[in-house]
Amino acid sequence: QGTALGFSGLKQDPGAPVEVTSETLSIDRDAGRAILEGDVLVIQGDMRLTAPRVEVIYGTEGQQIKEIHAQGGVTIVTAADAAEAREARYDVATGGLVMSGNVLLTQGPSTISGERMVADLRAGTGRMEGRVKTLFNTEPKAGN
Amino acid sequence: AQQSDPATLVADQVQLTGTSTLIAKGGVEVIHKGAVLRATEVRYDSTTGGLEILGPITLTEPDGTVVLASAAELSADLRNGILQSARVVMDRQLQLAASEMQRVEGRHTVLSRAVASSCQICADNPTPLWEIRAQRIIHDQLERQIYFDNAQLRMFGVPVAYLPHFRMPDPSLDRARGILSPRLISTSRLGFGIEVPYFIPLGSSRDLTLLPLLASKDVQSLGMRYRQAFRTGQIELNGAASRDQSLSRGRGWLAATGSFTLPRGFYLYFSGRVVSDDAYLRDYDLSEDDRLDSTLQIGRVRRDELIEARLRHSHSIREGEANSRLPQLIADLDWQRRFDAPGIGGKLTFGINIHSHRRSSDENILGRDMSQARLSLLWRRDWLLPQGILAAAELGTAVDLNRVSQDSRYSSRVYTATPMMRAELRWPWARTGATGISDVLEPVVEMVWSRQHNAGDIPNSDSELVEFDEGNLFGFSRFPGYDRREGGRRINAGVSWTRIYPGGTSLIASAGRVFRFSGYDQFSPVSGLNGDRSSWVSALHLQTANGIRFQGRATFDDSFDLSRGELRMGIARARYGLDASWIWADADPSENRLVDTSEWSLDGRVKLASNWTALASGRYDFGVNEATRAGVGLEYLNECLKVEMALTRKFSGTAAIRPSTNFSLSMDLLGFGGRPSGSAATRSCSF
Amino acid sequence: CGFSPAMAPGGAGHALWEQVQIDDPAERTGFNYVTRMEERLGRAIRPRFRLTWTFATQAVGAAVTPSGNITRYSLIGRVNYSLIRIEGGQTVTSGSLESFTSFNNSGSTLASVTAERDAYERLAVILADQTMARLLAAAPK
Repeated sequence: QGTALGFSGLKQDPGAPVEVTSETLSIDRDAGRAILEGDVLVIQGDMRLTAPRVEVIYGTEGQQIKEIHAQGGVTIVTAADAAEAREARYDVATGGLVMSGNVLLTQGPSTISGERMVADLRAGTGRMEGRVKTLFNTEPKAGN
Repeated sequence: AQQSDPATLVADQVQLTGTSTLIAKGGVEVIHKGAVLRATEVRYDSTTGGLEILGPITLTEPDGTVVLASAAELSADLRNGILQSARVVMDRQLQLAASEMQRVEGRHTVLSRAVASSCQICADNPTPLWEIRAQRIIHDQLERQIYFDNAQLRMFGVPVAYLPHFRMPDPSLDRARGILSPRLISTSRLGFGIEVPYFIPLGSSRDLTLLPLLASKDVQSLGMRYRQAFRTGQIELNGAASRDQSLSRGRGWLAATGSFTLPRGFYLYFSGRVVSDDAYLRDYDLSEDDRLDSTLQIGRVRRDELIEARLRHSHSIREGEANSRLPQLIADLDWQRRFDAPGIGGKLTFGINIHSHRRSSDENILGRDMSQARLSLLWRRDWLLPQGILAAAELGTAVDLNRVSQDSRYSSRVYTATPMMRAELRWPWARTGATGISDVLEPVVEMVWSRQHNAGDIPNSDSELVEFDEGNLFGFSRFPGYDRREGGRRINAGVSWTRIYPGGTSLIASAGRVFRFSGYDQFSPVSGLNGDRSSWVSALHLQTANGIRFQGRATFDDSFDLSRGELRMGIARARYGLDASWIWADADPSENRLVDTSEWSLDGRVKLASNWTALASGRYDFGVNEATRAGVGLEYLNECLKVEMALTRKFSGTAAIRPSTNFSLSMDLLGFGGRPSGSAATRSCSF
Repeated sequence: CGFSPAMAPGGAGHALWEQVQIDDPAERTGFNYVTRMEERLGRAIRPRFRLTWTFATQAVGAAVTPSGNITRYSLIGRVNYSLIRIEGGQTVTSGSLESFTSFNNSGSTLASVTAERDAYERLAVILADQTMARLLAAAPK
């Protein structure tokens, strides 16, 4: 199956455990928020998110991470794709990811850059907006 | 596999559907190796590498061709695919439109059920002046040719011609093999005919144009023009072979011209012309010359040296002139060398002319041949005197060695020496008025002496035709050649007045006369140069800033009886132009002019509506009180069509050359091949 | 009446005498034009000005007999000139001139050919004199 041009590479199982490490951690229990700073690394399945500052919002039951909001230059890497932007907001429950500010998505030889990206990691679909620029090679894949 | 150049896609928004397609929307641009495609939506499927495009689409090729379409399916590299309701615009001029257009390997563009035209199509009148509708049009971008299959030429929407298959060069090609614009002619000598030139480029430095002409008075003529460029020069051959009613055998002509640069600053120039019969050039409207000259010339010109060696053969096709009694073969060597005079200041000019002419007939007197050598040495010095007087003195001598053969009236060898001297004073005055008008007034007086020879010594073969104007009012001899040299003591005096207005208008008036103290009748009595006081010679030049031009010259005697007058007038404006000339000359048997000559000629053009220009010309001879020539013409020029119509009538006729009326129509579909020079007035769509 | 000798010291032409380098000729008519201009301006020793010029000629039929023979030609001459200050390169004055001379084509071939060459020489003299008058009218003080 050819390299899919979409977000299948970023497809995620929202149920997978989320592991978070950082230099500093401050928890605001009653607001249900934690602020991590300094080489923050968030891992879920084979997706790794790095950013200098991440804010994690917990669900009402306290334990389940509902949303991750990373700022200051975010990089998301998966097995096949990579995405960079100034800021990213990832809703773990729905798999909805919004990245904004010089977004650059690279998938194998093709790259797509734009101002803002909205993706549904569960369905593997997404939309890039704002003077989107795409580089794709013109050789159709062998065999079709 | 070698990684091919990537294509760049830019859009306001790109949607990724997760499968393998990418949907770009909003101001989409796809750029690949110089080709730019703009559309509202592009769907890219990475597995097939194809683009599905929704219009309006604009595809701009690297060579400037623009393709417009409503929808298209193209390969990612934009080189293959199909466009719907496409329009191709080439060189911002030629347009091809079709319901469907196919791109093949980025080289061929195939349009089916297509229309080609370079005329502007306006919303209010959609039918272009001309269009070519074709079952199929193929544009080969590599060969830069356009091929039409069962095509139909329509003028004003009306089908005019049907052509199963033909080919035209696209606008970017200027030296393409193919048919040039045809010319329709209808002349009283050839009948109604058509000439279709065919151009064949032979490499980068040579080309051949064939000009077949068929006309109703069973005229079959094949014209030819061959041109070749060399590193140091070029040659051009023109000619034709024809058959028509007037002669049983074939007729034709051949002309060759060429010029080359030789080492050490020399040049070589040759031109020759051969005609099968006297009336041919006029019958085929090629030239009105009545003398066919062939010359071979080698020379060099520098500031202080002139070298010219020339061999000339001339054949007269004038009625009543027997070539055997004319000096057909003329050879000349001219060498003038100027250098500083040692010690005494001024300049020394050494001149040598070796001349020989042959008449093929051997009869006495009528077959006279001559060989002559002339040597001259002249010293000249110019001074600027304190009061602003320009003084000049010239002192010199000329030695003529003449050998006359086959003319018993003259001894076979005659040597003459002609010492000569003259002094000239010139005193220019100038002023510039407050309003910026400047005037220059320049009186000139010159005292001349040269030894006078009696006219009977040698035959006068080169100095029969004497002119008198402000160009030879001063100087040693008003005879054009060497066989006669003006002699005796005389004073040449004249004055010229130049006025220049700030706006650029200028006026020049000059007058002068010769006062003779000896040698009173060296010229023809009619020339006004004889006697102790010559006729007045006067000239008037007017040039205005807004395009009016007047140049007149007149010689008249003290009682203002005009012996020669010539005018050239012209008005050149954007919308119209008029040129007129008039000549008056007393009868003068020594110049073969047996009756007074008085002739007017007029040439006018006027711009009618924005694209139409009307032309008219005429020549009237008061001597015989009849028009000798008249012509009218009409020209239409816009961005896509050039039509030229001309009707000329030549009334003059002789036994060999009958009076003739010529009509010619030529039409040129612009937009194919290189753009014609001159700016085409593009019609504007009136809203 | 405001006139003063143009070539006298302080006159417009005086500044040009033996100061103008005239461009080289390339063919016969130019040779005659340059010869005449150098007689009028003097040969420049240390030129401060340069005279550039072009000379175009065209012969047109002036008189045509009823039998169609062209018996007289008018030779039209056009000169474009500009006087340029060598140091600094500004154009002091420039202009274009047109005149014509005529020659008969009625005599023998040799007579007509000689008359034609003489017409070219006279045209060069006429246009050189007109150029000189223009230079005197517009020359720098």
